[in-house]
Amino acid sequence: MSNLAVDVLLAVGVAAELLCVVGVVVMRTTLDRLHYAAAGTTVPAFLVLAAVLVREHLSSGGLDAIAAVGLMFLLNPVLVIATARAAERLDAPERE
Amino acid sequence: MNAFEIASVGLLVGLVPLLLVAVRGGPGDGLVALELAGAIVVLALLCLAEGFHRSVYYTVPVAAAVMSWIGGLTVARLLGRMP
Repeated sequence: MSNLAVDVLLAVGVAAELLCVVGVVVMRTTLDRLHYAAAGTTVPAFLVLAAVLVREHLSSGGLDAIAAVGLMFLLNPVLVIATARAAERLDAPERE
Repeated sequence: MNAFEIASVGLLVGLVPLLLVAVRGGPGDGLVALELAGAIVVLALLCLAEGFHRSVYYTVPVAAAVMSWIGGLTVARLLGRMP
């Protein structure tokens, strides 16, 4: 049963992450692409984390996995805002 | 290969289109691709650590998460100051 749960969580997590990649490739503007890049650190990351936790539970490996995904989830909005500001400045001369 | 190793391969395949976006797009697009690539690498390392059943390997994705964030933030700040 746990093997099935791990397989499903990993499949959905990887598919969601690849969907974000497709979004980054397909979208035309930097800000549109940023939406998909930001989404890559939310749902897909937690699905992969859930798959790891099904196997590891709260061992040291499981806690490290929580730390890695938690850091990514909490710190990424800062990076997204900084990137959006940089993209705004880079695109500003084109709009004028 | 177990499920985690297959998942890590699937994640790493996603880096190829991002490389194309970084090469063909502008600097802002490259930075966005770099950010998503960092997230993908962290998740792939997490899957590899579980796939190899080595608990010490779990330190690597934690370090990668922090380092990719610092790198992305540095590039974003530098791009924002570009004339």
